[in-house]
Amino acid sequence: MSNNNKVTVVDREGATHNLEWEPDQTLMEALRDNDLPVLASCGGTASCATCHVFLEKDVFENLSERSEDELELLVEAEGYQECGSRLSCQVDFSRNLDGVTVTLAPEG
Amino acid sequence: MPEQQIPHKNQPVVIIGAGHSGVAVATGLRTKGWQGRILLLDAEKETPYERPPLSKELLKAGAPNESTPLRKEKFFQDKGIERVGGLTVESIDRPGKTVLLSDGSRHAYHRLVIATGSRARALTVPGADLPGVLALRTKDDALELKRVLLPGARVAIIGAGYIGLEVAAAAAARGCEVTVLEFQDRVMSRVTSAPVSRFFENVHEQKGVRFVFGAAVTAIEGTDWAEHVVTADGARFPADVVLTGIGVIPNQEIAEAAGLHCKDGIFVDDDGRTSDPEIYATGDVTRFTSRIDGQSQRLECIQNAMSQADSVAAHITGQPTSDPEIPWFWTVQHGVRLQTAGVRHPDDDVVVRGTPSEGKFSVVYLRNGRLSAVDTVGGLSDFRPAKKLIAQAAAIDPALAADPSISLTDAALQPSL
Ligand SMILES: Cc1cc2nc3c(=O)[nH]c(=O)nc-3n(C[C@H](O)[C@H](O)[C@H](O)COP(=O)(O)OP(=O)(O)OC[C@H]3O[C@@H](n4cnc5c(N)ncnc54)[C@H](O)[C@@H]3O)c2cc1C
Ligand code: FES
Repeated sequence: MSNNNKVTVVDREGATHNLEWEPDQTLMEALRDNDLPVLASCGGTASCATCHVFLEKDVFENLSERSEDELELLVEAEGYQECGSRLSCQVDFSRNLDGVTVTLAPEG
Repeated sequence: MPEQQIPHKNQPVVIIGAGHSGVAVATGLRTKGWQGRILLLDAEKETPYERPPLSKELLKAGAPNESTPLRKEKFFQDKGIERVGGLTVESIDRPGKTVLLSDGSRHAYHRLVIATGSRARALTVPGADLPGVLALRTKDDALELKRVLLPGARVAIIGAGYIGLEVAAAAAARGCEVTVLEFQDRVMSRVTSAPVSRFFENVHEQKGVRFVFGAAVTAIEGTDWAEHVVTADGARFPADVVLTGIGVIPNQEIAEAAGLHCKDGIFVDDDGRTSDPEIYATGDVTRFTSRIDGQSQRLECIQNAMSQADSVAAHITGQPTSDPEIPWFWTVQHGVRLQTAGVRHPDDDVVVRGTPSEGKFSVVYLRNGRLSAVDTVGGLSDFRPAKKLIAQAAAIDPALAADPSISLTDAALQPSL
């Protein structure tokens, strides 16, 4: 029996990866520890924006609000989506997120 | 690159130091297809951890005595990265291509990576070795400090750099009486301009932190514990805790002893190679020539530790390197964030963008009219545009840049390069 969430990740080349998101990980950690190219240089403190992802609209809408720091970093990010962009380090594990699809945002 | 084409991919790589950079080299090698033994040797015993929270979150009252691990222990196992903690590398035998550990064991390397980081510069005045005089570099240091930052404790901080100021903020929040002694005439003078210094001084003073500028510490007095900090003008500051934050020095001794070219840092090229082509160095311990301005420099930040690690892992596996991120740094003091992109020179032109008294502004640094660095205070909207524009060495209209209602990108003169 696993408590992990299943996540489908679409990388920057459009390829999909299936991974397990463990309960003690943020979404960023699940991505990074499964070798997806998120630099995450700030270690998950909403400072670097290298962990930017897009979530599907209905998933996005059920998450808590973005902090001001997160929003300011995201608004200036490439491909910013008002209803979809998140810093994956700010997305905590939740059973409700089992089965989500996460798309890596372009770098830069 | 297809794994078959990675040269020597079954050979051992030994990495000395499991901090931000060493861990990034180890993981980078595996991601890039290295199949040989990866031995990650570290003087610290426990699972490698994040350093920035040591002077920030960890010191808060009630915060757990933990710092986020860089990777979980299981991750190292899953990736076949052999981590040996609690032993130091004593010497490097270059002709024999081995390293000698403090337990007497020897390990052969095909490629060696020195990621030994830096240590807090020690204060060399009489009394500096008294108990109660602390520095902050490791998790053990942070826990020791946390134990003595008790409400009402008189805390003297020597040095108003990032670490000193972050500790000042944490100590003040914990109800300590904080005095910061600084030789220069403003805080963070090495890394930022006067408007930013003044702003942060004000933030600290509002929270009860006292500054003494122009203070040259000459001694620490006490019998079996620090009691007073003494300055050149004869002033004596009572202190129950003394924290020194006067910079760091690179842990280059084993490299020097092995004959690698070092001078206040191990010299490396853009690929992270030292003067021995089979030995790399990365992170705080290195000195290198900036690709942006040609200056020889050391950078003590996570960005540099990660970006050099990436170059090293790429070079060892024979793959092209990606363009390095623009250097950047952050600090949080009393909940106010300062985030810097680029490396400012003291003689850069300074353009203040926004109104500091409103708590949210940026400072733009121009060198020959081009953007060299940006400080953002209390907000991050200029951070990413700044990184891009610095990478392009964009020419900036100072009048437009001074107007925060105009985006920084629109303040760039076209064509930018
Ligand atoms: C309290 C604190 C707060 C910081 N805050 C920030 C911040 O907010 N943002 C930022 O960008 N940077 C920050 N930094 C700086 C950042 O942590 C460093 O730039 C970064 O850790 C450098 O990585 P490194 O791998 O070169 O060295 P380190 O992370 O220091 O790792 C070096 C490791 O090598 C080990 N070692 C040394 N010699 C030997 C030997 N002979 N044998 C075996 N092991 C050895 C050490 O024990 C250590 O574990 C902070 C630093 C500190 C101390
Ligand atoms: S890891 Fe840096 S913002 Fe998420």
